[in-house]
Amino acid sequence: MLEIHNICKSFRGVKVLETIHLHIEKSAIFGLAGPSGCGKSTLLRCIQGLETLDQGTVNCRGRIGFMFQDFQLFPHMTVLQNLTYAPDLKDKDKKAEHRRQAESLLRDLSIEFKGDAYPKALSGGQKQRVALARGLMANPDVLLCDEPTSGLDVSTTMDVVALLKSINKQFAVTIVIASHDLDFLTKISDRIALLKNGALAINIDPKQYADPVDFLKRYY
Amino acid sequence: MHRIIVNFKYIGSGVALTLALLLGSLSIGVALGVLFSILRYSGISRLFINGIISVLRGTPLILQLSFVYFIVPSILGFKLNVLSAGIIAFGINSAAYIAEIVRAGIESLPQGQFEAAKTLEIPTFYMWRDIILPQVIANIFPAMVNEVIALLKETALIAIIGGMDIMRKAQIIAAEQYDYFMPLCIAGIYYYTLVLFIEFLGRRVEKWKFHARNS
Repeated sequence: MLEIHNICKSFRGVKVLETIHLHIEKSAIFGLAGPSGCGKSTLLRCIQGLETLDQGTVNCRGRIGFMFQDFQLFPHMTVLQNLTYAPDLKDKDKKAEHRRQAESLLRDLSIEFKGDAYPKALSGGQKQRVALARGLMANPDVLLCDEPTSGLDVSTTMDVVALLKSINKQFAVTIVIASHDLDFLTKISDRIALLKNGALAINIDPKQYADPVDFLKRYY
Repeated sequence: MHRIIVNFKYIGSGVALTLALLLGSLSIGVALGVLFSILRYSGISRLFINGIISVLRGTPLILQLSFVYFIVPSILGFKLNVLSAGIIAFGINSAAYIAEIVRAGIESLPQGQFEAAKTLEIPTFYMWRDIILPQVIANIFPAMVNEVIALLKETALIAIIGGMDIMRKAQIIAAEQYDYFMPLCIAGIYYYTLVLFIEFLGRRVEKWKFHARNS
């Protein structure tokens, strides 16, 4: 589904990513782990095309959706407008269909009552759901999530695990999650790659280990 | 008492020119200012735009007004009337300040807003029109109200090229009656009333337009 071949990226001479190779299967949930500053977010941004690559290629069969760490909802638009604006621009004749799709997504994510609210009136968890819904509006084949649990409490983090798993199942979407939260990643991911100083340290199937968190911590 | 009323009426007849100058130059200022600030983000024109803004902010407005009224017509070969020269000079000068206000507004937005628009494949024109500028306008609105008030007061400079605005009419009365106190007070009352009205209008628009999303 997603082939990352020999990616290198540096900022002002400082190497941030060094020859990263990754193969991500269709409909998998793939975790990118590593300490802060190891290059997880940069790798996601390279996959999305927000950064130009110094070297290497990203091959993706299908559309990519992106969920930002700080959500980046448009504050002057209501929740429904945030969801439907871009699809409406692409296909003006299907506005009613886009609205129905947005309302259905909000129902799936249990925030259907917030359609007319502005982002400022939403809690962190609700903003995150709206950001997820916006990412899903374009029916992506791959959804990139940058630190989706940062700043959330334990209970909301568990909700996110359930939510992403159900999205993965319901929409058969490949999900790539960058997070420093190893507990969260081992609960949700089919595979986890750990980055250290911009290089790939290890790429494992967490189900093969009795204590994957402890195993991954050795490479931190 | 009768003299006060006559003076009030005479000086008040200059309000029309003051408002025409304000509205005309504000339209040019906003259009050019926004254009300048957007062009600054498109690599090639950055130096050129920065140069224009630097010159406009670095020279006195009275010099720019004189240049537009006395020099430009001799270069282009046609005469500009007082109102047109005023609108052009005040408008272009105001554009430089508005461009700076808009730049500050754009730079205050998180980079993620541009990136979110990019990931959603929103074309550049729509990104600026529907995503970036509405947020910028909300952020810079109080500063823009200040700019409108400053512009209103700057229009008094039109008197130096013979424009019969509030200030010029006050000067005429002062010269005729050998009394500066009353006409200048009347001019001050007119300007202050206009400023209060602009402030009131600004607060109403801010409350009406930007309140919902912040509540």
